[in-house]
Amino acid sequence: MAVQVLGSRDVVRASRERQRRRYGERPGIAYLFLSPWVLGALLLTVGPMLGSLYLSFTDYDLFTTPEWVGLENYRNLFTDDSRFVAAVWVTVRYVLISTPLKLVAALAVALLLNRASRAQGFYRSAFYAPSLLGASVAVALVWRVIFGDLVSSPRYALLVIVALAVWQFGAPMVIFLAGLEQIPQELYDASAVDGAGWWRTLRSVTLPMLSPVIFFNLVLETIHAFQAFTGAFVISSGRGGPIDSTLFYTLYLYQKGFNEFRMGYASAMAWVLVLVVAAITAVLFRTARMWVFYAGEDR
Amino acid sequence: MRRGNRPGGVARGIALAALGVLLGATAACGSDGGSSSGSNVTIRFDWWGNPDRAEVTERAIDLFEQKNPTIKVETSYAEFNAYFQKLTTQIAGGGAPDVLQMDYRYVREYADRGVLSELDSGPSQVDTAGVTQQLLSGGTINGKLYGIPPTQNTQVFSYDFAQWEKSGAAAPKDGWTWTDLKTAAQKVSDSTSGAVRGLGDFGGIEDWFEVWLRQQGKQLYTPDGKLGYTAAEVAQWWQMTDGMRRSGASTPAELTTKMDGSQANDPVAQKKASAGFGYDSGFTAKSWEILGREFKLAAFPTDTGKIGQYAKPAMMFSVSKRSEHKPEAAKLINFLINDADAGKILGMSRGLPANAQIREQVGGTLSGPPAVGFQFEQQVAAKLEPAPPPPPKGAGTVKSTFQRVYDDVIFERSTIAQAADKFIAEAQKAIST
Repeated sequence: MAVQVLGSRDVVRASRERQRRRYGERPGIAYLFLSPWVLGALLLTVGPMLGSLYLSFTDYDLFTTPEWVGLENYRNLFTDDSRFVAAVWVTVRYVLISTPLKLVAALAVALLLNRASRAQGFYRSAFYAPSLLGASVAVALVWRVIFGDLVSSPRYALLVIVALAVWQFGAPMVIFLAGLEQIPQELYDASAVDGAGWWRTLRSVTLPMLSPVIFFNLVLETIHAFQAFTGAFVISSGRGGPIDSTLFYTLYLYQKGFNEFRMGYASAMAWVLVLVVAAITAVLFRTARMWVFYAGEDR
Repeated sequence: MRRGNRPGGVARGIALAALGVLLGATAACGSDGGSSSGSNVTIRFDWWGNPDRAEVTERAIDLFEQKNPTIKVETSYAEFNAYFQKLTTQIAGGGAPDVLQMDYRYVREYADRGVLSELDSGPSQVDTAGVTQQLLSGGTINGKLYGIPPTQNTQVFSYDFAQWEKSGAAAPKDGWTWTDLKTAAQKVSDSTSGAVRGLGDFGGIEDWFEVWLRQQGKQLYTPDGKLGYTAAEVAQWWQMTDGMRRSGASTPAELTTKMDGSQANDPVAQKKASAGFGYDSGFTAKSWEILGREFKLAAFPTDTGKIGQYAKPAMMFSVSKRSEHKPEAAKLINFLINDADAGKILGMSRGLPANAQIREQVGGTLSGPPAVGFQFEQQVAAKLEPAPPPPPKGAGTVKSTFQRVYDDVIFERSTIAQAADKFIAEAQKAIST
């Protein structure tokens, strides 16, 4: 009798209550399951990062004991290193050119692939494949051979690496596809009834509804672009040439640390990069308020 | 109660002794069968080189393992630049190979940083009686030996003589000059309408600049480790090499900038240039096949009568300071340098053997490119000067800076004088920090 009086919500609550009584409150379990990730993050990420923060204030040659030098590395970076300035410009140019191109390519292909068809699975895999291979040294080597003449020209070498990056649009494409599938069909039906064409629908339905995903991809790809290394390293044989035209920030950092045995200096460079990327991400989040539309929000 | 039980103690002693015998027996079995057990030791030996060198090195190592059944040697090799990149990372991570191939240019860098073990005393002592003192001094830092050169080499000019003949270029002869070189190279470029340049542009390679400097009685580094030249000499050298590029006698900037010491990016190996400078130890058994044609060797051109070349330790063998198997590591080096059978197998694959007896023995057995290299060594031996002391810390950076800044010249991004000043400033910084 009493059960019938109870609403379904009460039933759920009662069953939870029962479970709690049987198993007790044991938040420890949660931490136990979390522990591999927490340990991994502490030992493999936070620990080494703190280590490199310390090293960035030292003169450290990789082999002998680090010597404390205070802010000297940072001071030299900004006042006494013309190659540092060159590396910053190369990287900024790379980020500004490759990130938008890659996102546009990923979105365009995602739009093409976002229709029901049997061959869909095949095409999606085919377009995703370069991203799987792309980070590998082998593809960069092939790239170097194919674009042999452009790679050795100071004007075009960077663009070859940009092209390599854009070609690997698979990861953002997959995320875009998932986002596109989340857009309710009713909105498209309504816009069709209103007589909206393809372009109008894209601008007024697809892009606003997709904006959180676009934002996510933008942040991720910007961070990735700042960290680009493999392509430049392989294509320029680790030298960043010709005339420093492919001297990516991370490549210069590597040269300082491992070719010139100045790991303290390289650590300072790494921390400058971390801070800059953090600042840029914060700026992106600020601007997001202006153009990112979350469903359920009133506008 | 049991403490005083004598028979028990005896029994235990016998048991232990039996166990000892048993262990000893298994250990003996292990070494006979080549399987791993307590007394066996595995050492690592890393080096740079090409597949040619790899083949003979592996054969020599096999022989070493046969002669020393308790020592197992793991090897790995790479091209020069990749090798040093990997080595630095390994040493920094505490995983350095026990025996490593060291370069004359880097030996002070690594020895000063306490990475290498002494080879003239202590557990890693090697018998160097057969090696000339002059070569050994190349591996001696502050009176201690940190690298033993197994071989010597010297700088060399090599040219595709068939191409030169066809183009009507005059073959190098004793006392030829830098102008002779330019004239000959120009003929090759002109006769092929630039398809094959006379020379790979060598202006950015510090090694050849050094020979030119020495021809004028100067040197790369003073004995106290300072730069032995000024921006004026650098500008003069680049003026000469850039002139060859402008006239078309040497390769254009796009080809030159790719030169990274690997065969794949060498214009001579790609048949886009007919001649260049190098080290005579680079000519190994299959060189003619790899290069697709035969070459002749000659001494450097000179305007002063001095050829400026020297007997250089082609490379060195060193033992890592952190090696846990120093005696075994030393044994391997000793074998590679002094063993007659090893010498037979290795031949000229690392250059002219440093051990005089082995050198003599190898000389009679050579054919192909190594024989050409050997003859060249004999021919210039009397003119070679002793090697300068190992260069200071930072010398590796100076070398790469030299090449990088030369790109400014060939891509015409700055005047030669500006580039030379820029290089000197960066070089000073590299050796002072």
